[in-house]
Amino acid sequence: MKALLASILTLTFIGFLLLAIVEMPAVGSDSSIMHNVVMDKYIEDAMTDTGAINIVSAIILDYRAFDTFVEASVIFTALICIMIVLKRSGSHDEK
Amino acid sequence: MMKSSIVRHITSLLLPFVQIFGIYIMLFGHLSPGGGFAGGSILGASLILFRFIYGSEATDAKFKATYMMRLALVSLMMYGLIKGYVFVSAFLGWHSVIGTGTPGTLLSGGFIMPLNVLVGLVVAITFYFIAVLFEEGDFNNANTRQ
Repeated sequence: MKALLASILTLTFIGFLLLAIVEMPAVGSDSSIMHNVVMDKYIEDAMTDTGAINIVSAIILDYRAFDTFVEASVIFTALICIMIVLKRSGSHDEK
Repeated sequence: MMKSSIVRHITSLLLPFVQIFGIYIMLFGHLSPGGGFAGGSILGASLILFRFIYGSEATDAKFKATYMMRLALVSLMMYGLIKGYVFVSAFLGWHSVIGTGTPGTLLSGGFIMPLNVLVGLVVAITFYFIAVLFEEGDFNNANTRQ
């Protein structure tokens, strides 16, 4: 019963995700949704907005800074998981 | 710990340059290619090299695991605080504290340079700890003997 419920939930989720595939534009079409105003905005205004002459840095640390924050948090979470799995000795409280 | 004296001498010559290069990439991330992740990887690689060449006890005496863990945690929290302040101040229209500066100089780009350094510290310490954990299973060898 539990396996059947899990299968139904998984299939529902997969179908929900596949709905997004239908809406995707064809490969290489010029009316694609990613060719919008944001690209020109970054290239033209990044230096005056942020003061950094490296546009990549301006995007990842100013416009999209919380994305970078969560990336660093993901690396740190990976470290915590590896510590849980591999660390031999306990902490000071456990001795 | 590596016994070969060739490797030890070459490493002692090479390590300062590796670390300076990593710090340079972190500091100049807003001016040239690179940034926190690249510079932090190089700095972490230099720490891993130091530990594998000079042994775990010498490294634990020099870089204490507790302090490095605290440094990584404080860096992560400082990143969240600084960037949260920047977003909130921009949203509410407050006056910017340090401005954007002259583009092209080291002290420019608002908070981008300190954020690069903070990300680099987190990445370096995390890579170092992950490598040590996979190699030795523990990173606190100096403290466990006490």
